[in-house]
Amino acid sequence: MANQNILIIGGGVAGIEAAKGIADLGYKAILVEKRDRLGGNPDEQQYAALTPDLRDTQEALDEMMAPMLNNPNVDIRYNTLVTGASGSAGNFKVKAISAGKEVEMEAGAVIVATGFTHFDPGRETQKYGYYEHDDVLTLTDAEKLLKAHKFVRPSNGEVPKRICFIQCVGSRDRQIGNEYCSKVCCGISSKQAIEVRQQVPGCKVFIFYIDMRMYGYWENEIYWPAQEKYKVNYVKGMATEIVKRGDKLLVKGEDTTMRRPMEVEMDMVILAVGMEPSEGTKLMAEYFGLKQNKYNFIETTGGPLDTVSTNVPGVFAAGACTGPADLEDSVSAAGLAAMKALASVRKSQPVLA
Amino acid sequence: MTALDISVNKYSDVSYEEKERLFEEAKADGRWDHILYGCYECGICVAACPSARFYDFSPRLIAQAVSREDVDLVYTLMNDSVWDCSQCFSCDRCPRQNSPGQIITVLREVAVRNGLQTAKQALEGYGRIIYKIMSTGSQVSPDMLQPDAFPDWGKHVHEISENLDVWRKALPPETLHTIETGWKVDEKTIIELYLIWHMTGVMDLIEGIDEGLFMILVDVMEERLEEAGYDVTFD
Repeated sequence: MANQNILIIGGGVAGIEAAKGIADLGYKAILVEKRDRLGGNPDEQQYAALTPDLRDTQEALDEMMAPMLNNPNVDIRYNTLVTGASGSAGNFKVKAISAGKEVEMEAGAVIVATGFTHFDPGRETQKYGYYEHDDVLTLTDAEKLLKAHKFVRPSNGEVPKRICFIQCVGSRDRQIGNEYCSKVCCGISSKQAIEVRQQVPGCKVFIFYIDMRMYGYWENEIYWPAQEKYKVNYVKGMATEIVKRGDKLLVKGEDTTMRRPMEVEMDMVILAVGMEPSEGTKLMAEYFGLKQNKYNFIETTGGPLDTVSTNVPGVFAAGACTGPADLEDSVSAAGLAAMKALASVRKSQPVLA
Repeated sequence: MTALDISVNKYSDVSYEEKERLFEEAKADGRWDHILYGCYECGICVAACPSARFYDFSPRLIAQAVSREDVDLVYTLMNDSVWDCSQCFSCDRCPRQNSPGQIITVLREVAVRNGLQTAKQALEGYGRIIYKIMSTGSQVSPDMLQPDAFPDWGKHVHEISENLDVWRKALPPETLHTIETGWKVDEKTIIELYLIWHMTGVMDLIEGIDEGLFMILVDVMEERLEEAGYDVTFD
């Protein structure tokens, strides 16, 4: 008989949701997390507020995790790094280093939820000078400033008067090798633009973009209010280069709508960095023999109709380890992965009355 | 047709503060919040716009400039673009419910109220029509049918203009038996029109844009108002 425990690797929102689902169905979930805290990137990178509802990140995560923390069906292994795997559907043996000691865990099915990492703009081919200029930031850097309610120029501690976001940094770029859209950055930039206008009302905010991708309700929940209520300036056209002029940043680009090149001075520039597979995602693909796509995300096999099954029976993947995903995607996929993982170990067994 | 050049700050001789003052005047208009939301740059307004087919004119550019609050550009457009609109409001089909046409209405009013030189130039050719409407209460009149001025009105224009009063009397409604006005305007109606133009500030607008026209109109109006028993001065 198959082992009926489900092993979940990664304690971000997808891992948490999957563990909750398994536990609620009365089965045992082993949740493995390499850090000493759950919450994944939103927690580790100190996101100020979630997209799209601008809810306080910590509050929302705490509420999400609460029902799971004291649930006897969830065995959370903090500070645990998976180092290898063997076995097959129904009987996986997963090795890990837990608090310095080597351990082995057994499970009937595995859900990989190891997520993404933010694109490192130091790797880009365009000349945005992330490592040269103090006032060039990434979305994650900006989250920390917004969370601390101290949105100031890193170079001199002054409150900025003009800032801009540059979209699609590390995404939709054949030169970099990431041809895909990272899906969330338009929404996050617009969310941050609203937060900047709330915290620093005197600051002019520009967003330079290729297309704004604000699907579904993000349109009326973030994009429209940003433009109509908070007067964020959306300028269609990308910046090609950032250079220093005095103590300002000179952003060069084209204002395509107005049919003119632009050179504008900014106090801060925020690069809307996209998603790449995390180290953990790449390692899990290797340990479990999971097929990866050309960007090294884990490839799911069912096209649009099955977003969690992999080429290895009994191993499922959920969230941003399969490609760019927002919170809604990640949580939805995690629920599906929990259902399919349990189904894979319960199949052909009679349901007990 | 002149090309609209927005690549440079054409009116750099006008201070930013003055441009901002005019923009603020437009934004303070009661209609503003119902005619401007935000612009996608989708171009549906340009697609629907008859003027855009014949002039270097773009309602999208207007909506975009005011939406971005680009003070210099708004001033340039207020001078060089708003008079190219035919005010047909086909652009009202905007998915964000903007009305570039009504934004233009407001910008035109600000331009006129503040006596912008370009507004004066744009309206110069309309002085005769404004005089006719405001002094008589009717628009094009039969005696404006001059063969030399309107050769395109056909080969019978000479014959018709020579016996205008006869032709007019051939029309069944008695109110059309007129030559100097398009129709018979009742005395009470014209007095009410004068009072409305006086009280709603229309005369102040005319004064700001064409002082000569203003003075001629005042002469006509003051006399007839006095005859009707109203003691009104226009300055």
